[in-house]
Amino acid sequence: MKVTFPHMGSTLVYRKLVEMLGHEAITPPKPSQRTIDLGVKYSPEFACFPMKVIMGSYVEALEKGAEVILTSGGHGPCRAGFYGEMHKRILNNLGYEVDVWVFDSIKRDYKNFMNIVKKLKGDNSWLRLWTILKLLYQVTKDVDGFEMQLQTKRAYETKKGDCTRAWDKIQHIYNSVQDEKGLKEARQQCQNLIDEIPVMIIPEDQKIRIGIVGEIYVVMESAANMKMEETLGSLGCEVRRSHYISEWIEHNMIPKAFSKSHEEEILKKGEKYIEIKIGGHAKETMGNIVDFHEQGFDGIIHLMPFGCLPELVSQSIMPKLMDDLDIPVLTIALDEQTGTSNNLTRIEAFLDLIRNKKRNRLSKVS
Amino acid sequence: MRVGIPRGLLYQYYYPFWKTFFEELKVEIIVSSPTTKEIVNKGIEFSVPEICVPMKVYTGHVEQIIDKVDYVFIPRMVSISDKEYFCPKFMGLPDMIKYTVPGALNKILSPKIKSDSDSIANPKFYGELKSRLGISTWDLHRALKKADKAWNNFRALSKKGYILTDALDIFEGKKVPSKEPTFKDGEVTIGILGYVYDIYDPFISMDITDKLKELNVNVLTFEMLEDQAIKDSIKFMHKKLFWTFSNKLLGAGYHFYQNPKVDGIIQVTAFNCGPDSMIGKMLELESNHFEKPFMTVRIDEHTGESHLQTRVEAFIDMIRRKKMAGGVSRESNLSPYGLNTSI
Repeated sequence: MKVTFPHMGSTLVYRKLVEMLGHEAITPPKPSQRTIDLGVKYSPEFACFPMKVIMGSYVEALEKGAEVILTSGGHGPCRAGFYGEMHKRILNNLGYEVDVWVFDSIKRDYKNFMNIVKKLKGDNSWLRLWTILKLLYQVTKDVDGFEMQLQTKRAYETKKGDCTRAWDKIQHIYNSVQDEKGLKEARQQCQNLIDEIPVMIIPEDQKIRIGIVGEIYVVMESAANMKMEETLGSLGCEVRRSHYISEWIEHNMIPKAFSKSHEEEILKKGEKYIEIKIGGHAKETMGNIVDFHEQGFDGIIHLMPFGCLPELVSQSIMPKLMDDLDIPVLTIALDEQTGTSNNLTRIEAFLDLIRNKKRNRLSKVS
Repeated sequence: MRVGIPRGLLYQYYYPFWKTFFEELKVEIIVSSPTTKEIVNKGIEFSVPEICVPMKVYTGHVEQIIDKVDYVFIPRMVSISDKEYFCPKFMGLPDMIKYTVPGALNKILSPKIKSDSDSIANPKFYGELKSRLGISTWDLHRALKKADKAWNNFRALSKKGYILTDALDIFEGKKVPSKEPTFKDGEVTIGILGYVYDIYDPFISMDITDKLKELNVNVLTFEMLEDQAIKDSIKFMHKKLFWTFSNKLLGAGYHFYQNPKVDGIIQVTAFNCGPDSMIGKMLELESNHFEKPFMTVRIDEHTGESHLQTRVEAFIDMIRRKKMAGGVSRESNLSPYGLNTSI
């Protein structure tokens, strides 16, 4: 079966999962201008940006011959949980005969969930499935760890682009991991790769740390956020995101009894500003900012798709939170209008303010 | 003790409940005035630019009454149906108002409504009011019971065919119920799809229902239909939408498509409304299938009334031509209109 999936950040894990279970993985190309154009053409005008990009990705994957789309669902009230249904209707209307397998929460629709698992599992034994999942979980943890190292190093690399190249290599190395033994070798190899990158020495008090928070898709997919991480890195900032795949798995896939996930704590931290979970990642956004502030970050970039329902609530509360914590936040709404220089100007100005503030603790950024 | 009720969002749907409830508790209520340009401007001042116009208007209403009252009543609407929710903006509304409108920080009464049906009278939602308003459990129960009854009477008026604004007037005793609630003699029947806070706020919708009546058109809206009929018409969907009122609109939309009396559908939606972007596309796809005209009118805080007038008139004219004896029988023979000609 030819299976495809949305392009969100690194596609390594999804691809490996599909391949290791014996299906053919059709990896959608990294979203480009063409992807966005296709998505915009076929999606509802006021649908949020992630939906449009994913729509474009699907069309491109279907052109490459995909037969099945594998995606995650949701139980609302954020629109993202309904993407699967919507995409299916639109694609069918365009004449594509495609199956959309949506992983909804197991509690909401147990039968459907198990159905998809069984179809995906195919002839593999349950034990094999378990081994694969365990291995892939470790892969995501490793890869996320390396990504964080690179997000720090990128700010100080002497040769621009070293870290990004290393990142591509790491994904390539992990792509061929098949078992625990291979995992160990890959881990060593990648760590060496990162350690070899030459860096400048910057005094501690001049380092700038920026947290990127917001809606998960635009935070994770660099094609949708105009390469925010790389841009910040090249401007000399250490970067952390609010979302990493391994954390998402911990929060959504592993039963609460076995782990106290990082996200639970984050949610608690956001409670003062948004009392209940209102869907999407609005409450997490608030919690993450509080968390980054406690870790001593210098500034926050808040990314949201234009018109994102939950993030509009967090954006509304942002001025109050900035006041409370005395931390600068720059909110950027993203959509298909890709004015890179406009964004670059805003980010540069934002970083200038942060640098000034750091230099002179007395001056207040308002 | 004075409690303010902003005239926005679900006011049109739940006001009879809230009014009876507070009156039974001997609490004086202050309702903000009908929407004006000033209210809208205030709302724009205190809310983020991207948010939809009903939210901006609501913020303006809160701002208008915040200084005159001890508390503002802003219930946190989470759900009124099992496994369904409100739009995230509703769920975060008390938080949003609390931190954006000056002086609102400690003045908000926001009982958390998490019901499994349209009725919001379960006393367990209103626990926080007891201490803050100083009322006994018994009083609370009694007031809720009365309020629920008043609200059910009001809903019955809608289902008889009264336009929501008329039903509200009757509830407040400003109008006597007439024998013929609906305007029945129109040449054309139009189903209007839109949330109560868009359609029945005369400022936001620029009185679209009156405009249609002037054009000799019968108007049908979702709250005139029986809940069961709405539910049945979207029964076929494996996964329904997450938002209760959006499901009602979608159900009503399908009902209008299937109802031979309805000649066309107008969707009234606020700029950047998230749930509507989904409904709109779905009904647009279905419009071809049912061969019934469908038009989307998008509104925001700009007040270009003539553009609305022109579009609505053109839409009605088109339907009239189609209905005329010897007129155009097939839609595809008509000149292009709206969104539905091709995709």
